[in-house]
Amino acid sequence: MELFALEHKKLWRRTGTRLCVALCFVYMVIFCGVLNYQWFGFGSEADATSAFGNYFDGWSQIRASQARAARYGGVLTDETFQRMVADLQRDDAAGLESELGRSERTLFNGWLGQLYPEMEEQDRGLYSILMAYYVDTSQLTGFYARRQAVLEEFLHSQGQGVGPEWELLLGMNERVEEPFRYQWTSGWQLLLGDALPDMGTVMALFLAIVLSSTFAGEWHSGAAALLLTTERGWHSLALVKVLSGLAFTAELFTLLTVGGVAAQLIWLGTAGWDMPIQLIKLLAVAPMNMLQAEIYEYGYALLGALGYAGVVMLLSALVKSNVLALLLSLAAVYGPAIAAQYLPMGAQKALDLLPLVGSSADIFRTNTFRIFGHYIWSPYLLLAVPVLLGLACTPFAVLRWSRRMRT
Amino acid sequence: MELTLDRLTKHYGRKIAVDCVSARLGPGVYGLLGANGAGKTTLMRMLCAILEPTSGQVFWDGEDTAAMGAAYRTVLGYLPQDFGYYPGYTASEFLAYIAALKGIPRSIAAGRVRQLLRTVGLQGAADRKLRTFSGGMKQRVGIAQALLNDPQILILDEPTAGLDPKERVHLRNLLADYAGDRIVILSTHIVSDVEAIADRVFVMKDGKFILRGTVPELVRQAEGKVWELSVPADRVRAWQEDFTVVNLRHEGDRAVLRLVADSRPDGHAVPCTPTMEDLYLYHFGAEEA
Repeated sequence: MELFALEHKKLWRRTGTRLCVALCFVYMVIFCGVLNYQWFGFGSEADATSAFGNYFDGWSQIRASQARAARYGGVLTDETFQRMVADLQRDDAAGLESELGRSERTLFNGWLGQLYPEMEEQDRGLYSILMAYYVDTSQLTGFYARRQAVLEEFLHSQGQGVGPEWELLLGMNERVEEPFRYQWTSGWQLLLGDALPDMGTVMALFLAIVLSSTFAGEWHSGAAALLLTTERGWHSLALVKVLSGLAFTAELFTLLTVGGVAAQLIWLGTAGWDMPIQLIKLLAVAPMNMLQAEIYEYGYALLGALGYAGVVMLLSALVKSNVLALLLSLAAVYGPAIAAQYLPMGAQKALDLLPLVGSSADIFRTNTFRIFGHYIWSPYLLLAVPVLLGLACTPFAVLRWSRRMRT
Repeated sequence: MELTLDRLTKHYGRKIAVDCVSARLGPGVYGLLGANGAGKTTLMRMLCAILEPTSGQVFWDGEDTAAMGAAYRTVLGYLPQDFGYYPGYTASEFLAYIAALKGIPRSIAAGRVRQLLRTVGLQGAADRKLRTFSGGMKQRVGIAQALLNDPQILILDEPTAGLDPKERVHLRNLLADYAGDRIVILSTHIVSDVEAIADRVFVMKDGKFILRGTVPELVRQAEGKVWELSVPADRVRAWQEDFTVVNLRHEGDRAVLRLVADSRPDGHAVPCTPTMEDLYLYHFGAEEA
């Protein structure tokens, strides 16, 4: 325990570690959280060409949007949807910005485009997709029946329209509660659709920088020979190095999560936690609410990061150069992501199982894996496989490092 | 207490770094002398069981050290040639870290660290980051870490490198005092260090012990091979090309040379009392040394 504490302290004492943690915190919590909520995400529009021209008034804008959304009774029915779109059209005609906000308007346009495509007026040119401004609201009926039909059509088009996969996905969809609870959605969309899916990718960069020197750095520091002659030698040291790396990963995650959740509570509050995720992605089949999705996405980031830490430490043990270990670590996460674009779907899905290569946004998708004839919804495997892969790497890291030390 | 080297050999591909070296070492200070590349560091790493020999064994009190594992490391203290340190640690934190690696309980380690920092004259710098230390100070921290577990076998690879003359004298005294009933092995190419404290000296060349013995025994081997003579200053270069010149001193338009040669190099040359340095240069030559 004492050795672990000292090794852990050694890791944190490095200037590079502190700098990485600070940069990661600034990007994820301050830039993607605080500034996003207060300024370029939800600040009122002052310059139509750039979100960075917004006013610094996101907190009050969010409050206004939430209050406006609350007027629709908390449930999404044909009637409330008609009222929402009609109010939006009325505000637009009066030259007012809807209090629901730009992003909610974008969301409505998405729903209209998917569920009521026949109402799109092509002769409006580029503006034809902004259906919320011109559709006849009285014809916005059969919201849930249309959604079901579009979902089934989508599954057929994906080759998922038959057999057990079809049953699995539709079975999940049947558990989605209708009518949907509705509060202001844009805050959750920003959080669950944009910010949290990026968390793993950003953490990967900084974890690679910090942890790639876990073992390789001992060659760089010239301490390897010294460490080998101590009583505990490489056995205990390698173990505490791995534990320190995993602890650091968990601490970085905790820091980002605490900061992110605090910013979320201050700016967005808790309103709408029980809304279904289908409000963000209409064709999602998972019977999850926003809070469950948030927990999943944080869980994905933590487990993926722990898995990635294991991979990075193995790579660090395989080579003697800090730079090479860093490059290999970065390639382990960004390489498959780049290569996936050129691979068939099955290979892409397989690569997604590597730590932090996939995305937590799979909860909004209908991807499945077929294993021994059984279909498994992809988020389950995306949660479990990366961390198992990473942890499986750690014994090899220990063995490889010790063997290398003796040659 | 005996450390036995039994036909220790290490090959790196075709290169033979250590070539069938054998010795029996009891308590005392042993100096390992040799030019760069002679095989000293490779031999020391094998003695520390951090490098597997190609063939041969090391025994500690009759037991194969390769099989002893951690039990052997408990009796071992080692200062590597390129001693690694962690710049973010203070001296006392670094020593506490190594103490933990050596399995020393924290309650004992804290006092031991303080005591050793005093011993190596760094008590005033205990809480300074290692990145701020001079080369000599880092070397002293390295010596302190080697002594942390009060080892029965202390192996120091170039311990005086980077130390100023005063620090070197302090270290020599420290090691002489420490040796007592322990085995201290130090490698160096600074002959005066070995001459000052080593009970026995091993001279290594091309991976072999070419000489071994006490300092007087070895020095005796150079008797009749060290000469001094005065030559015109403009002839110095010619003499340096033909002989190993140990020392050169100008006196007006002449130069006094001290050189090693198997026989009297000149009718005017007078024999001198040899030193370890003379012997060393006799075997390695001025350029190689």
